[in-house]
Amino acid sequence: MLKPLWSYSLSLALLSMAVIAFELVLMQVFSITQWYHFAYMVISVAMLGFGAAGTFLAFFEKWLLQRYEQAFPLFLFLCGASMAGVIGLSNADAVRFDTYLLLNDWRQLGRLAATYLLFFIPFFLAALAMGLTFVRFAGQIGRLYFADLLGSGLGGLLAIGLLWCFPPWEIPAWLAFLPMLAGWISMKKRGGSLLNMAGVVAVLLAGTAVFFPPRPRLSEYKSLSKTLLLPGASVEYQKNSPQGLIQAVSSPALRYAPALSLNFQGEVPIRKAVFQNGDWIGAVVPAPQPGSPYILDYTAGALPFVLQKPGRVLVLQAGTGEQAAHALAHGAERISWVSTTPVLLKLLRNELAAETDSLVFQPGLRFYELEPRTFLYTDTNTYNLILLPPVSTFGGTAGLNALQEQYGMTMEAFRQMWRRLEADGMLSISCWMDYPVRNPLKILASMVAVLEEEGISDKQAHLIAVRSWGGLAFALKKSPFTEKEVQAARAFCDDMLFDPLLLPGLRPGERQQYNQIQDSLFFDYVDAMLSPQREAFFEAYDFNVRPATDGRPYFSQFLRWQSLPALAEMWGSHNLPFLEAGYLIVLLTFAQMMLAALVLIILPLFRLGFRGGNKGWIVLYFGGLGLGYMFVEIVLIQQFILFFGQPVLATAAVISILLIASGLGSFCSGRWNILSRKLWIAPTLIALMLFAYLFLLPPAFEQAIGLPLAAKLALLLLLAAPPGFAMGLPFPTGIRYLSENKHSSIPWAWGINGYFSVISTALATIIAVELGFWWVMALAAGVYGSTAVCSMAVDRASPGQGLPG
Amino acid sequence: MKWIGSLAIMLSLAAKGLPQDAYQKSRSDMVKYQIENRGVSDEATLAAMRKVERHLFVPDSYRGQAYSDGPLPIGYGQTISQPYIVACMTELCEPKAGFKVLEIGTGSGYQAAVLAEIVDEVYTIEIVKALGEQARARLKKLGYGNVHVRIGDGYYGWEEQGPYDAIIVTAAAEYIPPPLVKQLKAGGRMVIPVGSPFLVQTLMLVEKVGGRTKTKSLFPVRFVPFTRSGN
Repeated sequence: MLKPLWSYSLSLALLSMAVIAFELVLMQVFSITQWYHFAYMVISVAMLGFGAAGTFLAFFEKWLLQRYEQAFPLFLFLCGASMAGVIGLSNADAVRFDTYLLLNDWRQLGRLAATYLLFFIPFFLAALAMGLTFVRFAGQIGRLYFADLLGSGLGGLLAIGLLWCFPPWEIPAWLAFLPMLAGWISMKKRGGSLLNMAGVVAVLLAGTAVFFPPRPRLSEYKSLSKTLLLPGASVEYQKNSPQGLIQAVSSPALRYAPALSLNFQGEVPIRKAVFQNGDWIGAVVPAPQPGSPYILDYTAGALPFVLQKPGRVLVLQAGTGEQAAHALAHGAERISWVSTTPVLLKLLRNELAAETDSLVFQPGLRFYELEPRTFLYTDTNTYNLILLPPVSTFGGTAGLNALQEQYGMTMEAFRQMWRRLEADGMLSISCWMDYPVRNPLKILASMVAVLEEEGISDKQAHLIAVRSWGGLAFALKKSPFTEKEVQAARAFCDDMLFDPLLLPGLRPGERQQYNQIQDSLFFDYVDAMLSPQREAFFEAYDFNVRPATDGRPYFSQFLRWQSLPALAEMWGSHNLPFLEAGYLIVLLTFAQMMLAALVLIILPLFRLGFRGGNKGWIVLYFGGLGLGYMFVEIVLIQQFILFFGQPVLATAAVISILLIASGLGSFCSGRWNILSRKLWIAPTLIALMLFAYLFLLPPAFEQAIGLPLAAKLALLLLLAAPPGFAMGLPFPTGIRYLSENKHSSIPWAWGINGYFSVISTALATIIAVELGFWWVMALAAGVYGSTAVCSMAVDRASPGQGLPG
Repeated sequence: MKWIGSLAIMLSLAAKGLPQDAYQKSRSDMVKYQIENRGVSDEATLAAMRKVERHLFVPDSYRGQAYSDGPLPIGYGQTISQPYIVACMTELCEPKAGFKVLEIGTGSGYQAAVLAEIVDEVYTIEIVKALGEQARARLKKLGYGNVHVRIGDGYYGWEEQGPYDAIIVTAAAEYIPPPLVKQLKAGGRMVIPVGSPFLVQTLMLVEKVGGRTKTKSLFPVRFVPFTRSGN
């Protein structure tokens, strides 16, 4: 005797909640232990689990259905136990990989594959439980699917709540109790001693993980790992937040003075440092003391303060406040401090207040907890100086930031900053020198493009750049630099042993007085940027140094596929992966995932055979739905991050609204007769909506960006719910059609949908990098459009065929 | 049965000798193909690279790759540098008998051993205690009595023994510590690798010329990540 349907619906909702929360938390764990890149891997691994479970069910459905009452709770107990155990197991040497070594040591690839398999287990078990229930109660699939998606939607919110309370690696053990609870709810009173024992063992395992949480081992090459190796180093403060784990570290050997002048004779001060997800975000600097020398004055970053006394200063992505403190040291009257990590600001205000000499309490500071772009959209003030955070890090990022969206560094951002400058205001940014040269050229390209747009022909008159032994600082002024400012820059270079790179009236030989570069082509590249041949230079240069745009906001993505043969010739093909490792690792992960999905999802299905007609339709329809859904989700998340200015809120809100709306769509799909009868209607609706969004979303956002948060959330609901609802319709409709007409093809439909879901996340990112987000959305519209067209043919072939409601 | 004992001794000697021969061949190939062919020509440097047994400076699990053309992990986020880089940095120091050299970042001790083959005294500082202790024990076992290992913060250099004819900063920081500049003799050379860990890096030469300190960024190379204060 089965339990009532509501108990299974509730179990599914609890399970989905746990699965989504677990997935989001794993993204954080991988961001901490490895790099942000592996967030994509987590999504793909989850999809792989779901796809492989579909294939598994195709083989063992009958056997499992006969034992449904035992199998369902057992899968839930095992799922909970594996959720609690995977973080600990991932620390084992046989599994633990290191991003930096992936391209250096082939054994790491095996470990990466073992990591996929380990994290695949909880998703696979969860999907088995879900899939089995969908099959067992096929007639009520709409209601069950609704419970599933509702739970998923709530799971996103649950993850955010938990990330405020616990370090991410402790959360899976807590989440593990949800599937176990679901197991107990769905279990008969006398479930059998083995099942009871499984439940008790699972609870004990999760309990152990709660009380003795396994601490993940960070990559040896993360800046936090290295800093903790310094003598006497320790994490003094730690704050949990959905934006990432913030840790403040101290050591008597921890000093901060980026690319310090070789003329500096004093003692480099010892500082605490703050890390976000194991990556360096800044040193904790004190408020400046009047009259005492300030160490950052001995770095190229002091350039804007040498040129002008700052009045009103805007510091974007202010981090730990190094630049704000520097501006205060030079007598800035008012400083707007824009930051997206409120928890860091709290740390500076409270625990680190003594360390900073109450920097954040200095008069004249105004704080804004927003993304820089959202701030620039809403702010109406003008500034004498706008400071951007330093680009790249010493030693480079190895391309590991290539896929990180940097809306603060796009052309649109530079344009907005220019508009916020006073008539004689300046924009300044510093970066580390890299080789082959990429970051300095892209910064310069962005600045030159702004000048070009403003119709300024004598661009040299508006640009000054100075170079130290390791770093560069650029200053872009709205009006031409005065002779006094030019002389001040020259004197600064002489005092600090720096060289001018760009300076009105630059003298021959002046560029390499103190810091010679053997490969002097760098100077030719810089000059090409300012010449009419700039476009030809972009085409000819081996790396992509064109300005980033909102459509392709990947400032740190430099790889150009067409340059690979030339680069291979110059550097040797075996060295190619080391030029831009980050993007190549994503491609490697993508290829491994495609292979894993093929082996675990598609190949086993061939044993079942794929007979009968409509094969092409099944591939296009269910493949299209898998691909299209994720494409839309990713684009909407990107668009709303810019709109809200709060990435975590935007991501959680978009995912939750889409999933809940899709759940409602699924629920309604069986009740609306017309939709049940015509397969093409829902995909057509979606394609039309997405096509309209291609042109309507950007101007709508620009108009509405200044609205209060509640109004923005309402707009999100208005814009995301309709496509979400529509995207929930076609999958159950298609499954119903198959169960009526071609039951033997259902495993293939699941499998194909699963396969395309696995590859969709990474594929969407690769398309966004290469073509831009607009094209991802356009492709999603196209995919749904072709799904509709091919469904019309199927509808025509069976015109009187009604699908069961 | 004596012959069995003799055979056993011969076999055990052969077993010990075989890998040694194999490493010698690998080492000489490494010098010929990875170092000489790329333009390193200083005889003293080449001789030192031929002599120092690199496989004794890498973890057992990487011993088979000791003479390959790349850096290898040695734990603690550190690496033993690519052989070519060690040779380049050594050559750039223009080492001679009678020289006193300071190294910041001992790591496995390999660079110090190569220098010790040429110069009189090598003073080397390692900030990671475990690495420093391992390197000290290894260098002592291999008989490098002229290498002095100190465990501590390289920021202050080793003032008591300065000034130095050359300084190698294998553990480059995002700043060059002022005490190191001070401890470099007038006309001395400091060599620092700058760039992406495991990726393309450039070597930077710091020289004290006419009372002013100047830098020269040299050719790009593929190198290794470093521990450094602050990052």
